Amino acid sequence: MTMRIGILSFAHLHAEGYQANLKNMAGVELVGFSHEDASEGRHFAERYGLRWFPRHKDLLAEGLEGVLVCSENARHRELVEMAAEAKCHVLYEKPIATNPTDAQAMKTSCERNGVHFMTAFPMRFDRSVQEVGAAIREGRLGRIYGVNGINHSEIPTAHRRWFADKSLAGGGAAMDHIVHLADLLRWFLSAEVLEVYAELDNLFYPHAVEVDTAGLLLLSLSNGTQASIDCSWSRPTWYPRWGHFKMEIVGEAGTVVMDSLAQYLTLYSSGAPRNPSWVGFGPDPNQAMLEEFVASIQEKRPPSVTWNDGFQAMRVALAAYESSLTKSVVAL
Amino acid sequence: MRVGIVGSGVMAEVHARGWRTTGAELVGCASVNLEQATRLARQFEIRVYKNYSELLHDVDIVDICVPTHLHKDMVLQAASAKRHVVCEKPIALRLQDGLEMIEACDKAGVRLFIAMVVRFFPQYRLSRELVARGQIGQLGVIRLKRVSFVPQKPGDNWYLDETRSGGMVVDLMIHDFDYARWLGGEVERVYARLNRATDGPGQYAQAILRFKSGPMALAEGGWAYPPGVFRTAIDISGTEGLIEWSSDEHAPVQSFMLHRPGEAASVGLPIAGLSDDPYALELQHAYKCIQSGEPFEVTAHDGLEALRIALAARESIATGKPVNL
Repeated sequence: MTMRIGILSFAHLHAEGYQANLKNMAGVELVGFSHEDASEGRHFAERYGLRWFPRHKDLLAEGLEGVLVCSENARHRELVEMAAEAKCHVLYEKPIATNPTDAQAMKTSCERNGVHFMTAFPMRFDRSVQEVGAAIREGRLGRIYGVNGINHSEIPTAHRRWFADKSLAGGGAAMDHIVHLADLLRWFLSAEVLEVYAELDNLFYPHAVEVDTAGLLLLSLSNGTQASIDCSWSRPTWYPRWGHFKMEIVGEAGTVVMDSLAQYLTLYSSGAPRNPSWVGFGPDPNQAMLEEFVASIQEKRPPSVTWNDGFQAMRVALAAYESSLTKSVVAL
Repeated sequence: MRVGIVGSGVMAEVHARGWRTTGAELVGCASVNLEQATRLARQFEIRVYKNYSELLHDVDIVDICVPTHLHKDMVLQAASAKRHVVCEKPIALRLQDGLEMIEACDKAGVRLFIAMVVRFFPQYRLSRELVARGQIGQLGVIRLKRVSFVPQKPGDNWYLDETRSGGMVVDLMIHDFDYARWLGGEVERVYARLNRATDGPGQYAQAILRFKSGPMALAEGGWAYPPGVFRTAIDISGTEGLIEWSSDEHAPVQSFMLHRPGEAASVGLPIAGLSDDPYALELQHAYKCIQSGEPFEVTAHDGLEALRIALAARESIATGKPVNL
């Protein structure tokens, strides 16, 4: 029996990748997507050959088993609640929400309706991440001194304007990027973030946007490890790729340098939008993430990435904003 | 001019080689470690002086390559003997000491050069130059890496003694604090964390600097890698562009050698590639400026300000709070 899946909103650019992932999955039927903006909706429908629903509730009325919520961050709650009421299991884009109240409400709604919720942390399904996670858990690096985390990128506004709109995204680069590394730190070290210090500012696009575009964090975790996160939109828009995802884990018994996107070719092609461009040939972690979502529905079990994982990572991002504002260390 | 080196360890040897390229006359060395001094003297065909005073008596410039806690007294002594001074970084362990050293040299009318060698590494110089030329617009985020292994020494390992070296943050990270300040100007705020090995002197630190002019920097430093591994990196992003460099790449020659304990490489020194030796470049610069009376590109005041940042980082590590400068 095929599983019917839908995508609620195409506002997040990852929706474009997810629809391709879902089409490639055996036993899954991508019923369509809902998107309120008609011209965008028609555009995506045509581009990807998908059925477009102008209203979310019409897509939800199709009797879906699971939905991917790919709206703007600030609209996650509204769509997750609608999906939960329609008894759909939910996978939602990161960050979970832009404030703790919304995140809690999403949890309550899903629990009340007996549906599972999974936060989209695709890097957990990346093979380099899994290899490094195993090395840490097996103690191959010894006790960990610290982690140097890098998730810096270009400004995503060329793909979607709302990423730099505080009312929709909840913030800028910090809201966009911190949660990925914060989640992996928690996961790798089986620890919680205790303290956050951050410098956030709009250093790169002071005249174009009104959110933070530069950010450096230093975290203290409950197991004694310290970790830095660079969440800046500091790569130029003409960089060979959107950016980087790196972690250097420095332990007493050894150091591991993880560069998750290191499997790429350098392409020099006349007329290419980026020249040169780094064309990746590594496995797509989104595929594995979506497979886990589908498997969790089939097996009637909670997914491996939980609401709490999304919630705790969001708390780190929110603490970074508070730290930057107060110029002090924020305890979680 | 006649130059004498005080000290006979790794830096003394590196500097001796550097002085050879300057046109100055390297006449001798003085050291408490007579055996090491004799070896150095034989290698460079110079004299071993019985003590520091005797060396001072015989030279125009003294090059101080001894543990940091000894810098102050030696500089003061050189100043009172009216000798120019080249002194290894960090300038001193305390700001007050550094100030007194600078004042004493000023008063004596002798030059004081603090060997902040990173400013003479070609990739660091060029990056600074590109930034200064406006190639990447206004500075945004600066990332600097300098992670090495625990310094190995056959005898008394003073590097590991914070009362003599200032510890890793002061001895090693000062390079990037100075470089960051060279790029970004005065620092407003420092927050740093450091983790120590459960067993032994291993340690790893990260520091966030915020500059008065707006940009921010992350400096990473450590004695944490396996012996022989020394990684440095530069990543400077601005409103109009980006500069990237990493010691992991771009080496014109890569070599993987075994080192016997006590050899020069047992204290990690970054490899500069095939360009001129930065240690030679800094001594050539110092010598030229001492001869001509021109100002140094990196002043003793810069050395002192770098120490101020390093001490603030250490304070932040100790208190767990950001430190305002």
